[in-house]
Amino acid sequence: MKFLCVECDEPMKLTDTKGPDDGSMTVVFSCPECDRKIAMLTNQMETQMVRSLDVKIGGGSAQEEPMAAIRNSLAQKRDDIFSSSMHSHEETDQSESTSKCPFTGAVADAFEASSEIVWTRQAEERLGRIPPFARSMARQGVERHARERGYKEIDDAVMEEVRDQFGM
Amino acid sequence: MKTYRDIVGDGGSNIVEQVTAQKNRLKARMDSVRHIVAVMSGKGGVGKSSVVVNLASALALQDYSVGILDADINGASMAKMTGVRGQALETGETGVMPAMAARNLKVMSIDLFLPDDSTPVIWDAPTQKDAYTWRGMMETKAIREFLSDTEWGELDFLFIDLPPGTDKLPNMLDLLPQMTGTIIVTIPSELSQFVVGKSIRMAMELLRTPVIGLVENMSAYMCSQCGHEEKLFPGSMVEELAKRHHVPYLGRIPFDPRVAVCADEGSFFLEKHGDLPATIAIEQIAHRVGEFLKQQRSGDTDLRRL
Repeated sequence: MKFLCVECDEPMKLTDTKGPDDGSMTVVFSCPECDRKIAMLTNQMETQMVRSLDVKIGGGSAQEEPMAAIRNSLAQKRDDIFSSSMHSHEETDQSESTSKCPFTGAVADAFEASSEIVWTRQAEERLGRIPPFARSMARQGVERHARERGYKEIDDAVMEEVRDQFGM
Repeated sequence: MKTYRDIVGDGGSNIVEQVTAQKNRLKARMDSVRHIVAVMSGKGGVGKSSVVVNLASALALQDYSVGILDADINGASMAKMTGVRGQALETGETGVMPAMAARNLKVMSIDLFLPDDSTPVIWDAPTQKDAYTWRGMMETKAIREFLSDTEWGELDFLFIDLPPGTDKLPNMLDLLPQMTGTIIVTIPSELSQFVVGKSIRMAMELLRTPVIGLVENMSAYMCSQCGHEEKLFPGSMVEELAKRHHVPYLGRIPFDPRVAVCADEGSFFLEKHGDLPATIAIEQIAHRVGEFLKQQRSGDTDLRRL
C-alpha cells in the first residue's frame, strides 16, 4: 500500500504510528513536499488482518524464533510446551520487532508489549474464577484496560476497576 | 497523477522479500523430505485421520522414516492418536523438534500447544467479532510454521492430515507446490462418494496434482467370533468411482472397533493386532502407496530408497 499526495503528486512517508487503542491503529503519513499529513485509522478487524499476515511492513526477512506466530498468537496454551532447553521469548533477538516497521511492525510490537504487563497472584486468582472458555477474552480486556491507563501491573485494584465491566 | 507502479520500490513495505524468504525457508525444510503425501476426504467422518495414522505406522514399522503433520487445526487428533499428547517440545539448531511417537514416528500438531482436552484453538485478538475475516489466515500461518519451523530431518514420508473440505488441498498446494500426491479417503456411503468425487476432480483437473489413490474405509463389519462379513452401507461403488475418475483404487479397510480403541489409547493398531483383516488391508494399501511412489520416481529401483 502506498499513499500519494494528490496536490504534489509525491509519495507520502510514514511519520508516526499510535495504538492499538481498543484494537485500532493510527498511522500518520506526511508529504515530503508540502508537509500535508493524513492519518489512516484501522478498525479492530483490519488491525488483526494485518497482524495475521505474519510480515512486517518495512521489516527484514531475518527468521524469528521458531513457531513464534503460533506461540504468540494462541490465546490459551500449555505453560510447559517447551522443555527447559527452549529459549524464552524474552531471550530472543528483538531486532525484528524494533525494526523501522511502519505499520505491521508497529502492530506486532504493540501486541507483544501486552506481555510486559505483570499480573499479581491475587489478580490471576480472580481471573481464574472466570470459566475457561471466557478467560482469555477477559484477560485481553483487563490488559487493554491497563494499557490504556498506562498501568504496568494488574493487581486487585485494577481488577476492581474492571469488575463492573466483566462481572468478576 | 502517479499510479502505484510509478512510485519506485514497494513503499518501504518489504513484503515481497519477506514472503519470498518464507517460501524459501519452507522449501529448504522440505528438501529433506522424499515424499509429501496429503490425505484428504472432502467429507468429514470417514476415518481419514485413522487412515493417516495406520498408513504412517505401517511404513514406520517397515523402518521408513515417517512424519505426520496435523493440518486439521480445529479438529486436531494426531497427537492423541499417536500417544504424544503432553510431550514437551525441544528446540534444535534450526527449529522445533517434533514430538516422537513409537517407532520414531514424528508428529507435529497444534494439540501439543493446548493446555487441556477441552480447550479449542482461539487466536489472540482485540476482538473475536468478525473473526471469520482473519481466522483462516491465522490457520494457514500456523500450518506454514509447522512445516518450515519443525526439524523434520530426513524423512521418507511426510503425511499431511488435511481437514475435511475440497478447498483445503488447493491451500496446501499453494504452500507446498512440491507435494508428491494425495490419498483420498471415503466410506461406501453414496453421500460420501458424492462429495469425494468433487475432491478427486479438484485434485486432478483443477490442481493437476497426482492422486495416489482412493481408500475405501469402513467397508464392512467383520464378526470377531466367526469372521462373517456384513456390509455397513448399502452397495459399494467406490472401486467404480475410482475407475470412473481414472485413479488407483488402493483397497478397502473393514471396520474394526479395535482401530478406535488403539486411536483412543495412542497405540499402533498394526503393532497390537498383527493378523486381523483390517491389519492386512492397511498393510496392502501401504504397499500400494509405496509402489505408486516408486513408479513415480523413475530411476529408483529399491523401495528402501523411495
